[in-house]
Amino acid sequence: MVVITTKKPVDEVLKVLKENDVRSLVVVSCGVCAALCQTGGTEGLKKWTEILEKEGFDILVGIVSEDVCDNRVMMKDLRKIDDSVKDADAILTLSCGLGVQSIVQVLSKKHPNKKVFVTNNTEFMGMTERIGRFRMRCLGCGDCLLNETGGICPVTTCAKALMNGPCGGMVDGKCEVGNYERDCGWVLIYNRLKAIGRLDLFSKLREPRDWSDSGHQREVIFR
Amino acid sequence: MAEKKIYSKLGEMISKGEFVLTGELEPEKTCDLSHTIQEAKEMAPYVVAANVTDSPLAIVTINSMAASHIIQRETGLECVWQLTVRDCNKIGLAGQIMGAQALGLRNVLSLTGDHTNLGDVPEAKPVFDLDSATLVKLVREMVDTGKINDNEIEHPPTMHVGAAANPNADPMEAEILKIGRKAEAGAEFIQTQVVYDLDMTIEFLRAIQKYKVPVFLGIFPMKSYGIAKGFDMFVPGVDVPKDILAKWKSVKTNVSDKKEQKDTYDQLNYEFFKPFISELKSKNLLNGVHCMAVHYTRIFPKLNKVIKG
Ligand code: SF4
Ligand code: SF4
Repeated sequence: MVVITTKKPVDEVLKVLKENDVRSLVVVSCGVCAALCQTGGTEGLKKWTEILEKEGFDILVGIVSEDVCDNRVMMKDLRKIDDSVKDADAILTLSCGLGVQSIVQVLSKKHPNKKVFVTNNTEFMGMTERIGRFRMRCLGCGDCLLNETGGICPVTTCAKALMNGPCGGMVDGKCEVGNYERDCGWVLIYNRLKAIGRLDLFSKLREPRDWSDSGHQREVIFR
Repeated sequence: MAEKKIYSKLGEMISKGEFVLTGELEPEKTCDLSHTIQEAKEMAPYVVAANVTDSPLAIVTINSMAASHIIQRETGLECVWQLTVRDCNKIGLAGQIMGAQALGLRNVLSLTGDHTNLGDVPEAKPVFDLDSATLVKLVREMVDTGKINDNEIEHPPTMHVGAAANPNADPMEAEILKIGRKAEAGAEFIQTQVVYDLDMTIEFLRAIQKYKVPVFLGIFPMKSYGIAKGFDMFVPGVDVPKDILAKWKSVKTNVSDKKEQKDTYDQLNYEFFKPFISELKSKNLLNGVHCMAVHYTRIFPKLNKVIKG
């Protein structure tokens, strides 16, 4: 699993830095998912360093971290460059949204006023088909239906996340969203359940999703 | 099983097993309904009820509940209020169902609705909290038990709920099984997407007969060659047969007198749909016809003849 990120337009990022009166920066690049998506890693750090220096920003230090989204790792890595963190106007993060928030959280005690910005848009949890091609196949809905839908997720493959598809927008197995170019998720589910001899599951009237546990700050604690 | 209650003229016709003709009204992006009211008046003598669409193609129009109410009030024509799950969550839908009841609506058609992405406000949040089957279930729960989520409704709604089906769907079996779910949810009638292919329609209707839900077949008589061609090109998944298009085209090219042209189109529609519907009726596959040709009310006297006999 990879958290898939894409690059924000450079101008958008520069504008945010300027609006926040940022002159000096610490750059933290993610060496895992963002590296795979070419939005972070060593390459990303190099590119952003060039861009920022050309724009006159002062880069105090740039690091590639193995787990930006892991508070413990971030704590350790940031401690090593604490002087620069202290002096920098802001931290620029080449990671997903989790990475940015991990840094904000880790710094919240020692440097509560430190600004943290991000260069990427976080797209989804991605399944890797090949290098450079990822597909959204899970939204982390918290109540996985895959055992009932032949291992194909209706939440992410159906444009309306329907529980009882296909809808009237399906034509020849394709979905009305995206100009009938993408497969209708519910036809994929139908084909799959048919193949494994479980059309009885396809015939089942499914209740709407239960959203009563959503909208909170979800967390998982198992120890 | 308790005796089936009847809440509307449409419900009454269905329960008596009478063959019904319904029409369709498409209110537009306007707060003035005079055009729609005019059309409603024109079709009223021939149809038992008319569907009132709910922002089709996700293009914003006047709210279908308000429009249905005004049409009923102004013309006396009973409406089949179309309600999609696109724009409201379960709270909103349940509230609308009660509101519709208070406004005198007694038939509702449960639809998924075209995705927001297709319409003129593509940035809107697509809701789809329920789907077309679970909306049927919600209506039936509110009507039959007088409750929502086990909470008593002081004056519960009393209305019939229908669902849609698409005989053109490929894979057809996926659609058929889905209709099974809608039947299980409690759909009291089914209105189909427009069809032109008789063999396919027969196969489809035979396959869904086991669910024992009355079916009204969707038809689209074509007012002109332009409309026929547009329908063929722009309605995904429905093809107007080539020979029909050719016939309609020849009217456009060969008949110059406007009045004569109109009459010829009307006659051609009659000639196409008469045997089509008769065949399905003779096979006992149909309970009615739903005419979706909006702005073509002059065809109703002829359609009336199509469904009779
Ligand atoms: S149903 Fe889909 S979104 Fe939900 S957990 Fe399973 S794969 Fe993820
Ligand atoms: S066509 Fe299929 S994938 Fe697209 S919205 Fe309808 S059911 Fe979902």
